[in-house]
This record gives sequence, C-alpha cells and structure tokens, in this order.
Amino acid sequence: MIFSTLEHILTHISFSVVSIVITIHLITLLVNETVRLYDSSEKGMRVTFFCITGLLVTRWIFSGHLPLSDLYESLIFLSWSFSIFHMVPYFKKHKKHLSAIIAPSVIFTQGFATSGLLTEMHQSAILVPALQSHWLMMHVSMMVLGYAALLCGSLLSVALLVITFRKVIRILGKRHNLLNESFSFGEIKYMNERNSVLRNTSFLSSRNYYRSQLIQQLDRWSYRIISLGFIFLTIGILSGAVWANEAWGSYWNWDPKETWAFITWTIFAIYLHTRKNKKLEGVNSAIVASIGFLIIWICYFGINLLGIGLHSYGSFLSN
Amino acid sequence: MEALSSTKALKLSLPATHFLKTSPFNSSFKPQLLNYNSHFHGRYKGALSFTVSCKLKSPQDIENKRKGISKRIVLSEVAPPPLTEDDDVRGDENGKIPVKIESRGGISKLGKMLSRRVLTVLSNLPLAIGEMFSIAALMALGTFIEQVLLGASLMACTYTTQIPLVKVARRWTFLHSAEAIRKQEFADSLPRASIRDVGIILMGAGYEVFLKGPSLYAFKGLAGRFAPIGVHLALLLIMAGGTLSATGSFKGSVTVPQGLNFVIGDVLGPTGFLSTPSEDFNTEVHVNRFYMDYFDSGEVSQFHTDLSLFDIDGKEVMRKTISVNDPLRYGGITIYQTDWSISALQVLKDDEGPFNLAMAPLKINGDKKLYGTFLPVGDVNSPNLKGISMLARDLQSIVLYDQEGKFAGVRRPNSNLPIDIDGMKIVIADAIGSSGLDMKTDPGVPIVYAGFGALMLTTCISYLSHSQIWALQDGTTVIIGGKSNRAKVEFPEEMNRLLDKVPEIIESSVSESRG
Repeated sequence: MIFSTLEHILTHISFSVVSIVITIHLITLLVNETVRLYDSSEKGMRVTFFCITGLLVTRWIFSGHLPLSDLYESLIFLSWSFSIFHMVPYFKKHKKHLSAIIAPSVIFTQGFATSGLLTEMHQSAILVPALQSHWLMMHVSMMVLGYAALLCGSLLSVALLVITFRKVIRILGKRHNLLNESFSFGEIKYMNERNSVLRNTSFLSSRNYYRSQLIQQLDRWSYRIISLGFIFLTIGILSGAVWANEAWGSYWNWDPKETWAFITWTIFAIYLHTRKNKKLEGVNSAIVASIGFLIIWICYFGINLLGIGLHSYGSFLSN
Repeated sequence: MEALSSTKALKLSLPATHFLKTSPFNSSFKPQLLNYNSHFHGRYKGALSFTVSCKLKSPQDIENKRKGISKRIVLSEVAPPPLTEDDDVRGDENGKIPVKIESRGGISKLGKMLSRRVLTVLSNLPLAIGEMFSIAALMALGTFIEQVLLGASLMACTYTTQIPLVKVARRWTFLHSAEAIRKQEFADSLPRASIRDVGIILMGAGYEVFLKGPSLYAFKGLAGRFAPIGVHLALLLIMAGGTLSATGSFKGSVTVPQGLNFVIGDVLGPTGFLSTPSEDFNTEVHVNRFYMDYFDSGEVSQFHTDLSLFDIDGKEVMRKTISVNDPLRYGGITIYQTDWSISALQVLKDDEGPFNLAMAPLKINGDKKLYGTFLPVGDVNSPNLKGISMLARDLQSIVLYDQEGKFAGVRRPNSNLPIDIDGMKIVIADAIGSSGLDMKTDPGVPIVYAGFGALMLTTCISYLSHSQIWALQDGTTVIIGGKSNRAKVEFPEEMNRLLDKVPEIIESSVSESRG
C-alpha cells in the first residue's frame, strides 16, 4: 500500500518537474536567455532523473522482479534512459541544445505512461513463466537503452534537417554572387569542399556562420549518440536471440517484433555507412536517421498495438 | 588506362588516378596491379606498393542515396600529392576517389585479374543495393521464407565484406605535400616548430609515431580501424551458422500426458537437406511427472516436467526436471518445456472407477486456458444426454456443474473430498496434465553463438576512434593535419591541446633542431 502511494507521488513529481523544465526552455526561447533559468532547468532534469530512478526502484522492490515486464514499465525505463542520456553530455560540458530535445522526449514518454491510457497496467503484474529468466534484465534493458539513444540521435538529426531546410527556403531568394564572399572564413573553408550545396550557400553572414556551426555540432553529436545506441541495440537483439534459443529452441522466429527490430538495426547500419562517405554526410544521413526515428516507434509501439506474436507481453490487449 | 610503370610517369599519372571516378556500371576500366616497389626503392623504404584498380564503391556506401554518383573524370592541376591516404574502403575523404588498394606487392597475374574482375561485377553497386532493398522490404512485409532471406543476405554480406577484408593489407602512407595535409579535417600550422617535438609530444599522448625525413605520421586507436572489418566477418559467421541451422537441423514438438513416453526419433523431423540423424535419436523419453507452480493469486507461475531418458538398451541415461527457460540437453538434442495442457481427469463415481475422462480445451489464451470434460449420466445413446460437467483452468481445482448446468462445487484433486451431485458421489481422484515439449538439434548453434559474441565485441570496439595525424616540416613551419573516424567532436580539442604543448623555437636554434 505504501509502495503504490510512493509510486504515485514519484510519478507525478517527475511529470510535473519535467513540464516545468520544458516551460523554462520555452521561456528562454521566447525571452532572452537567462543563465539562471538554464541552471534551474538543469537541476530540474536531475530531479526528474532521481524521481524516475526512485520510481523504478520502488517498483522493483515491490514486485520482486526488474521493472521491465510490460509496456508501462518499459516506458518508464525509456524515460529514465532519456534522462541519463541527457545528463551525459552535461558532464562533458557540452551543449544545451541536446537538453532542448531530450527533455520533451522525457516528458512525453512519462506523460503517456502515466496517462489514462495505461491505467490498467499501473499495478505491477506477475511475471509469466516465459519471462522468468535472467535474460530479461539484459535483453530488455539493452533494447530500451538502445531505443532511447537512437531516438535521441534521430531527434537531433531531425532538428538538423529542420534547421537546414528552413535556410534553403530563405536562401533560394538570394542572389548567387554572394557565394564568392563566403569563402573568407578560413576555418570553414575546407568544409566548402565537402558535399552539399546547402552548406556552401549558407555562409552569407556571421549569423549563418553560427547556424552552420550548430548544424555541424548537431551532426556530430547525432553521429556519436547513434553509434552508441547502435551498440546497445546490437547487444539487445543478440541477447534476445540467445534467450529465445534457451527458452524456445530457436534464436530467430521472424516474429513481428524481432523483424522490426532487425529492420531498425539495418536502417541505422545504413546511417552509419552513409557517414563514411563524405558526399552523403550531413543532410542525407540525417534523412536516414529521421526514417529510423519512425521505424523505432513502429517497432516499439506499433507492434505492441497489434498484440500478436511472441512479444505480446507488451500489448495493450494482453491484459 | 595507360600503364603507370615508369617513375617519370609518376608525376603525370598519379593525379589522374587520384581523381578518377568511374561508374560502377562501366567496367571498361580494367583493373591493373602495379608494383612500385622497385621504383621507390631509393626514396621510400618500406615498400609502398600501389595498386590501382577499377573503382569499386563498396556496396556499403551505396544505400539508396547514392544512385546519382558522378561519373566524370576530374584531373587536378595541383602538384602531385604522391600517395594520398585513403582511409576506408567505403568512402573517400576530400572528394577523392576511393582507390582500392589491393594486394601488397602483388604482381599482376592473369588469374588475379580475372578474379578481381569477377569480384568487380559481383560486388556491383546495383546488385547489392537490390539485394539489401529486397531484404528490407520483404522483412517489412513479413512474408518470407527464412532460407531464401538467409541466402540472399548471405550473398550480400559476402560481397560487401570481401572489400574491407582486403583493406587489411593496406599500409599507412605518408603525406608529403602541404596541400594534402591542409585538406584534412583538422589542419593547423606552427610557424616555428620542429617536427621532432611534435613527434615526441604525440608519443606522450599515446600515438604511434613514424618519422621519416621531414614528414611524420602518427595514429592512435588501431582497434577502431580494424573493428569494422571484424563486424563484417562476424556477420558472415552468423549468416553461415544460420544457413547451417536452417538446412541441417531437426525440430519437433509433442504433447505428452504425464506417465507416457515417446521416442525422440519419432518426433523429430528434418528441416533441410543437410539434416542427418544421430544415434541419440533412439532415446526414449519418459514423462515421469508434470506439475505446475502457482502464484498466490492463482495464476500459473511455472510448469515443470520430470523427464527420464532411456537409451536403446533400456538403461536410464539421464534424469532431469525441466521448466520454461531451463531445457534438457542430451547428445546434441535439446528438450524445451514450452507448453502445458490438461489431459484427463480421474474420477470416481459412487466409488466405482477410476474413470479417465479426457479433457478438451475450450478456450486457450496464452497461459490462460480452460479445459472441460463431461461425465454422462444415464443412457449414453439417448438424445437428451445429460451429465456432470467439469471445468478446469489449471491442475489446482476443478469446478463441477450438475446436470442442469448449475454450479455444484469446487474440488481440489489432491483432497479426495467427495461431492454430492444429483445423488451421485463424485470424487476427483487426480487431474493429469500433459507436458508440451519442443525439441531440436541444431548444428549451427555454436557457430551462430560465436558470431554473436564476435559481433557484440567488434561492435563495441568499433566505437573506439581511430585518429591519424600527418605533419610536414616546411622550412621552420610545421604543417599538421589530422582526422579521426569517430571522435569528431573531441579530436580538434585534443589536437589543440597537444599543439599548445609544442615548444616554439627561437631563430638561432632552428638549424640545429631541423632533422
């Protein structure tokens, strides 16, 4: 009884804190940036992180098994992973634009999880026999961590695309002879030899210089995070295959969820390979990553909506 | 393509090869192997054998984005940058072609040329694109036969990995022109410095440094460079193991009521043409006991089967209780507990019996099942046959209904408590469950597991970044350029930090410090 009220409290605290953080970010967007506000948003995210951790630990203790057995719990785990990934660049003293993307993700996930849609799932349920295995920890946690990292990375790529294409629409109206004047920036000069025309036309003013720096940062951070997420996803898929072999005798069943996880893996492998080629870097790889964003959601959520196959534990309908 | 066999032609020909872009469709560009060993002997020690071949954009680069690759040949007016670093197979830096540098010091032989040409055609862009696309699309549709997909992806992977495999043989090359160095991702120049100092500082930072005359090459994180090759090898291994599994294993499943037995060979069926049965298929399996554990709420927590294996002579060779996630392994055959059902109820009616009433599944929803049976009362042949119905969700308790269908009571099989229904005394003696067992033999599993392990390991390692730095001493200036394949964010900062440490040389001591 205590535990469920504790859970409730923690859930609602984390939800409200994250919404406050988002509000702060919005305010800083509209009004001038105040460093103090930014600091408090950082603190807010950390508070959220601790709340969600507390929530997970509470559920763990209360139910006796790792809180990863159904959709609700994996959603909470997902928002927890988001807040971890939010904090990592903070420790490396890097960018706050990551925070602007990750914080809303946390809140949406958390919000959805606590919303009315999933109230039946809030109580911790018992584990069916097939889930009573040590592999549960490794497989599901790796998969959710992988999803979180890949989602972050894809969101950054989407942001990159948005910024890039907003410029294109504006650039199209400008004259081309201004291009020649853009080659004065020494440091960016070599970048001009790289791929897209979009980059070349962007150096029209110092404001665009900062914007292109932002794009470059987004590009690189997206690459880093997606590589990390790819590793987690690989380990998750492979541990799932080994677990399936131990439980059912076959490591790959072309189950819908497995298939879509493999498709996700393939898409992000494509992304990593497009990064190798200088021609395809930048916008093209960002497009691939954005496709990956959609595919992750199909894999994680869409399949559960269908409620079929071996992974039906996460289904809405299974209860 | 003209033969590039003379030193004099070096300056002329290299730019041409340098900037060549050919269409992968157009294989009129014949692959040639050239050995520069003898020519370079005096100047560059450590054989820099250089092979130019038909441009093979590795199918990995392709994806759907690369359909419109430029097919021009661009000649550069820049003074010859002799040997440009070509980092990895899939791509080119700085807009140069990926010159596929093949065998080391190999001499052009007809056989090799032929095989390479075959490779050229087979690792062709559109073929690989087509394969990967069809795989992805078909997977998405979810309508495909495993073996066909496995075969197709195996082909695709084989060709995409041949090329990176060959890259292992590559050597590192020095950059000898300031222009080339400046074109690197990170480039800087130190006005009064000595390349030796740079080398020492890089060594202190963990780089492997090679100093040759006025030029320097350093790298760090070699694992990060070769790990992607390992990834592809691991994928190949998995595919091979998967193919073996698909064609060489045996599968079967059986539902055995408690107390009965079966012979393994009767249950297993082959999956492909490579399946060969073994001696262990003659083993007889006895289901000694099947029982289930329950949660307090009544749901099934776990189900177990106590199995004994007897060989062909009747000797017991193994005994184990299996449960879900805990299979039995014997002689290459694995028996998994995957399902359960209720087979029969043993009932005593008016102290007569016991009658074995077979239970039929009424509703199955995963682990939530409903079984029922019927004890007829009266004349079996009459049209309005009535009887006592018994329903069970699990082996714990049986719900009984009388002849009118009204609820009569609940009994646990172990209790042996009688129940009075319509004047009859019914005792539920036992509820007999049956165990759902899946078994298989799979020769490909060790290979696949090895591939899995290798894949996990190499994927993690390939996250490490591989950084390369080139430097050239140009008068009193040192020009430095470098790049990193992963740590794109941290690399410039690290470089700046290191370069800050390089001591500045004051005029008078310049001549001494130059090597």
